[in-house]
Amino acid sequence: MANILLREKDIPGIGQYDTYVQHGGYDGLKKALGMKPDEVIQVVKDSNLRGRGGAGFPTGMKWSFVPKTEGPKYITVNADESEPGTFKDRQILEYNFQQLLEGSLICAYAVQASAVYIYARGEFWDIGPHMEAEIEKARKAGWVGQNIGGSGWGCEVYVHLGAGAYICGEESALLNSIEGKLGQPRVRPPFPAVAGLYARPTVINNVETLANVPQIIVQGAAWFKSIGTEKSPGPKIFCMSGHIEKPGNYEFPLGLTFRQLIEAAGGVRGGKKLKAILPSGASGPLLPATDKVLDTALTYEDVAALGSVLGSASVIILDESTDMVWATLKMARFFKHESCGKCTPCREGTYWLLKRLEAIYAKKATPADVQLIEDVAKQMQGKSLCALGDFATSPVMSALKYWRDEFLAYTQPQKPAPAKAGKDKVVAGGD
Amino acid sequence: MTDTVRLIIDGVVHQVPKGANLVDAAKMVGNDIPVFCYHPKLAPVGMCRMCLVELGQAGIDKDTGAFQLDDKGQPAIRWQPRLATACTTVVTDGMAIKTTTPQVTEARDDIVEFLLTSHPLDCPVCDKGGECPLQNLTMRHGPGESRFLYEEKQHLAKHYPLGDLIYLDRERCIQCARCTRFQEELVGDAVLAFHERGRRLQIVTTSNPPFDTYFSGNTTDICPVGALTTADFRFGARPWELTGVPSICPHCPVGCNVSASTRLDRESGGKIVVKRIMPRQNESVNEIWICDKGRFGHHHSRHGERLTQPLIRQGGKLVPATWDQALALIAEKISAADGDVGAIAGGMVSNEDLWELRQVVENAHGGKDHKSLGVYPYRLSGAEWVAKVGLSKGSNFGQMGKGTTIVVIASDLSEEAPIWYLRVKNAADRGAHLITLNARPTELDRFAKSKLKISYGGEIAALKSLTEKPEVKDAANVVIFVGGEGLDRAGHATLMQGAASVLTSTGHAGKVNNGLIGVWAGANTQGAFDLGYSSEATESLLNKRPAVLILADADIVAEDAANVSLLAHREGKFTVVSEMFLTATAAQADVVLPRQSFVERDGTVTSGERRVQRFYTAQTPLDGPRPDWKVFAEINRLRTGSKPKLSAAAVMKEITEKIAAYKGLTYAELGKVNKQFPDVGGDDPYYGGTAYENKGGLGVQWPTEADQGKVPSVSMPAVGKARKLESGELLIVPIVELFDRKPAFAASAPLLHSHVPAPYVVLNSGDAKTLNLVDGDKAILSSGGVEGEYTVRVDAAVPAQTALVARNLNLKSPTPAVPMVGSIRKVEVVASHV
Ligand SMILES: Cc1cc2nc3c(=O)[nH]c(=O)nc-3n(C[C@H](O)[C@H](O)[C@H](O)COP(=O)(O)O)c2cc1C
Ligand code: SF4
Ligand code: SF4
Ligand code: SF4
Ligand code: FES
Repeated sequence: MANILLREKDIPGIGQYDTYVQHGGYDGLKKALGMKPDEVIQVVKDSNLRGRGGAGFPTGMKWSFVPKTEGPKYITVNADESEPGTFKDRQILEYNFQQLLEGSLICAYAVQASAVYIYARGEFWDIGPHMEAEIEKARKAGWVGQNIGGSGWGCEVYVHLGAGAYICGEESALLNSIEGKLGQPRVRPPFPAVAGLYARPTVINNVETLANVPQIIVQGAAWFKSIGTEKSPGPKIFCMSGHIEKPGNYEFPLGLTFRQLIEAAGGVRGGKKLKAILPSGASGPLLPATDKVLDTALTYEDVAALGSVLGSASVIILDESTDMVWATLKMARFFKHESCGKCTPCREGTYWLLKRLEAIYAKKATPADVQLIEDVAKQMQGKSLCALGDFATSPVMSALKYWRDEFLAYTQPQKPAPAKAGKDKVVAGGD
Repeated sequence: MTDTVRLIIDGVVHQVPKGANLVDAAKMVGNDIPVFCYHPKLAPVGMCRMCLVELGQAGIDKDTGAFQLDDKGQPAIRWQPRLATACTTVVTDGMAIKTTTPQVTEARDDIVEFLLTSHPLDCPVCDKGGECPLQNLTMRHGPGESRFLYEEKQHLAKHYPLGDLIYLDRERCIQCARCTRFQEELVGDAVLAFHERGRRLQIVTTSNPPFDTYFSGNTTDICPVGALTTADFRFGARPWELTGVPSICPHCPVGCNVSASTRLDRESGGKIVVKRIMPRQNESVNEIWICDKGRFGHHHSRHGERLTQPLIRQGGKLVPATWDQALALIAEKISAADGDVGAIAGGMVSNEDLWELRQVVENAHGGKDHKSLGVYPYRLSGAEWVAKVGLSKGSNFGQMGKGTTIVVIASDLSEEAPIWYLRVKNAADRGAHLITLNARPTELDRFAKSKLKISYGGEIAALKSLTEKPEVKDAANVVIFVGGEGLDRAGHATLMQGAASVLTSTGHAGKVNNGLIGVWAGANTQGAFDLGYSSEATESLLNKRPAVLILADADIVAEDAANVSLLAHREGKFTVVSEMFLTATAAQADVVLPRQSFVERDGTVTSGERRVQRFYTAQTPLDGPRPDWKVFAEINRLRTGSKPKLSAAAVMKEITEKIAAYKGLTYAELGKVNKQFPDVGGDDPYYGGTAYENKGGLGVQWPTEADQGKVPSVSMPAVGKARKLESGELLIVPIVELFDRKPAFAASAPLLHSHVPAPYVVLNSGDAKTLNLVDGDKAILSSGGVEGEYTVRVDAAVPAQTALVARNLNLKSPTPAVPMVGSIRKVEVVASHV
């Protein structure tokens, strides 16, 4: 089957405006402009497209929340892509950018937005000029700016680079970041659909989500639903990394199994035994390599039934050589580093978890500490302001669920003497 | 009642105001949900997660509006799986919360434990200890023992100066953002911000000079831990040693309610001493805020240079005397003056003092005339318009918003009355239509819907144009602040009339949240007007000084050098000065009487909103000084044999009998307190902070004539002739700086001295160019025969041929109190001194 998202595999240069147009580019937008905005939303609703940014929220429904009021409305394309092991959006931005642009413009038309902000993580600075050059080409062709395709409706497109913060992928922190404010999530309500960017109605969608849209409009909802499963239709890019023979992005219809996916990526590196899978980067719970897991279909609902999440489908493979304490520690370090610090459980909890995990890994802890990190993680759950606080608990909770022994093996029955008396460590004050 | 909705708290149905959030709503019905980041004066942010509750919604029968019931006959409630933050949840009808379940209690315990992992818990040496939200909630929810290792705690700067007034203890900060939000939302100066992220998140100042605001002290009150402390009080005392004594700030006409924290102080020889000034809640006056002048400006009461003995001029020198000698001499001089006696009172002379002083003057005039009673400074006038159409009784800036138009003319409220500035700004944020009419840019312009630039002298024309503006004509409410910038006394009186005319002609007099406010110079200038003192009298007293002139807290020399010669000419003249310090005026006196400071005595003052308010004795008085009312009463006794009253309360009682507007305003009445919302100062400092509960009285606003149904018809005064300046002449316009060098302030707060600018003059860039002056130059300003040296500031926004000069910065060469024509010349550097 031809790739729908990773089209450059079939058509080199599809990311360039001319090539894109030669292969049917902007037919979707053209068609959409001939429809009423609500009809466009209805097609997307009917297609059952679900958000590819992690939460799997139905895209058409999200668009329909935008009120039909006067005044500016905005689309923000979430290209922050900072989840460990996630590198799918980057490939679209680099090699299939026009398709994303067209999808964003269709979305903008559907909600009658006047501007699209593409928020890309700071590390994508090198793709910035490419995106801007392609936007200019589309503008010259009349797809960006005023009176698009003679419809009377106009829309601007801006590229905004972040400063390298995972939390700015969280939609409301992303909005703050665009506004030039501290990258911290906002409380909801109000939801972005009502008061988002600059307090105006805003749709926030992932890059991959929007890249699906042109073909949905061209080929129809039924076509899209014929791909994948009933509840999780459509193609999906799977980011394969870790102990895998052929790491990289793979596009498949949703619904293939973990086993099939691993095989497609060449199997576990060096023919080693599989130990664990992280289906969604660091933020989804670890899964053990059981047959049950391996034979589970990669859909939103099936992975959820295993107690994990499909998320952005950034699948990290861990083979038998993996030290789970080490792996957990690494993830804890990531979350401690990325916590924005706005709310108490996450700010303090990620710090605490890291401190104790470091002690365990350094063999300076007791079994009570293993219990403690589980308690601390539990204590964090369900109390944070945004999802990062919960994400931060999942490596710890899932690792302890399946590999508790490994943690205990690091501990000593007696509490080791503290390294130094606390007093010596006091850092001089500011005066 | 349609304004309330049903909220089920732990199974009990309550009626709570619509639109309230769950924390406030629960609080109103007696359920305290603990909070750290939420503050009732700030928009909720849901950061600390302390206020988590179980949240649900009761089913409501669409037809009857009654709750659908479960099989136990209780409202059937659908509970959400996750805990919700009460502070960010707005109540809707039928909302249900649980606040006592194990899940909620555990969540609170968990959050406190998390906060304590970073917090040093150094309560024993923390200024907040004893009135600290975190300490209190730790006692209630904290784990008995820490599961967090002390060695793993972060160690951060403990005395980080955010500015020179406020210190930050970075270990104690719990990242609640109350301080940053206060500055951003309420003050409109985002001079504090978070830096970094995660556990490294910390407060920094983003302004230069650092923490640049007049309101910084308030952040220490609302900081829910001891992270922010004032340089003034840090390590000064423990909260439980302190007794809060209700008082009123003496520095400006807002009349902020304050609480003087006092203790028996060993360092002060076992006397009761004021250790700090804290805001005292009065939602109609200052809410829970005070400015930094009010907070830090109390040290003059214990200053080493206070006068403690009466002084009598002998052989050209002032020498110490006893009270008996001094008062006998004064009585004798008054008796000899044959009615040629007058008095001038400054801004912080209490109503009681004013009343007894008035008796002195009236007795000298045979018991009647009080035309010889002046207020100081005397550039503002027109108080009769306040008596007619002043801000209506019951008005409250805290309740103004959409529909209200607020006009500020000829005044820079941020310098002249900071809390009015704050409250007007917030009313504008809530939708009030703010119009500023000034000849130069002011801070409030940032929040104004229209900024009308006027020329000095163009005030009446500008007011006239207001009557036609739909925002004034059609507004539900109109409030007008009339300042005196660029005006002399007569000009101000005319402007007050003009403002009264705008109000009456547009039908905005006599209704709550409508009326006129004079931006008076002193804390009790309004009281002085009420008790028969006037600017006109001052003017004539200074033009033709009486044989005996009594000056109470009126430093007339410091504000007008011409007065030196007025007083120095002693032939047949006698000057009595009542002061705390040996001011330039006192130095010219024949008798100097040492006054008491506001914390050493009790009394009442009347704010610019006509609110008569009580202040109480807080500090052991210095040996020597006496309250003015007692001194003046004694002079009367010596002269007439009248029986002096025994207390300030008794004097006030007489005022209530003699002054119609003050009828009924006895100490008992003024001391009354009603329940206020938000409910601060109780057992839960986590809610409102350390602003104090009001136990001293909310005061009473006296009613205007319009309030009593007598709305006068007021004509708009004619537009006056524009002042003509010759080329080379400048109009010298005195302006107000909040932090100045008046003794009662300058002696007060050495801490603030670096915030008091050197004497300066602001010139238009064109004028500066012509005069060959650049920013930073030194220049000599001459007017009315007086010269002074000033640093030049150049500002394109200042009108041409105008020199703005801040008053009371240069006490050696005084700045005029009213606009004058003058000239300026550059200081030529003749020789450099090495
Ligand atoms: C901590 C955190 C990081 C996130 N990072 C990203 C991201 O990098 N890219 C993304 O598309 N969505 C990210 N999300 C999800 C977004 O908040 C949002 O749900 C998504 O962009 C919606 O788009 P979709 O409906 O198309 O999936 C993140 C969420 C959280 C809580
Ligand atoms: S959960 Fe973490 S990342 Fe999210 S708001 Fe709270 S501190 Fe910030
Ligand atoms: S300094 Fe105080 S008010 Fe400011 S964030 Fe820290 S704890 Fe909150
Ligand atoms: S605003 Fe005026 S009354 Fe209030 S504290 Fe400041 S100086 Fe005092
Ligand atoms: S989250 Fe509600 S009080 Fe802080």
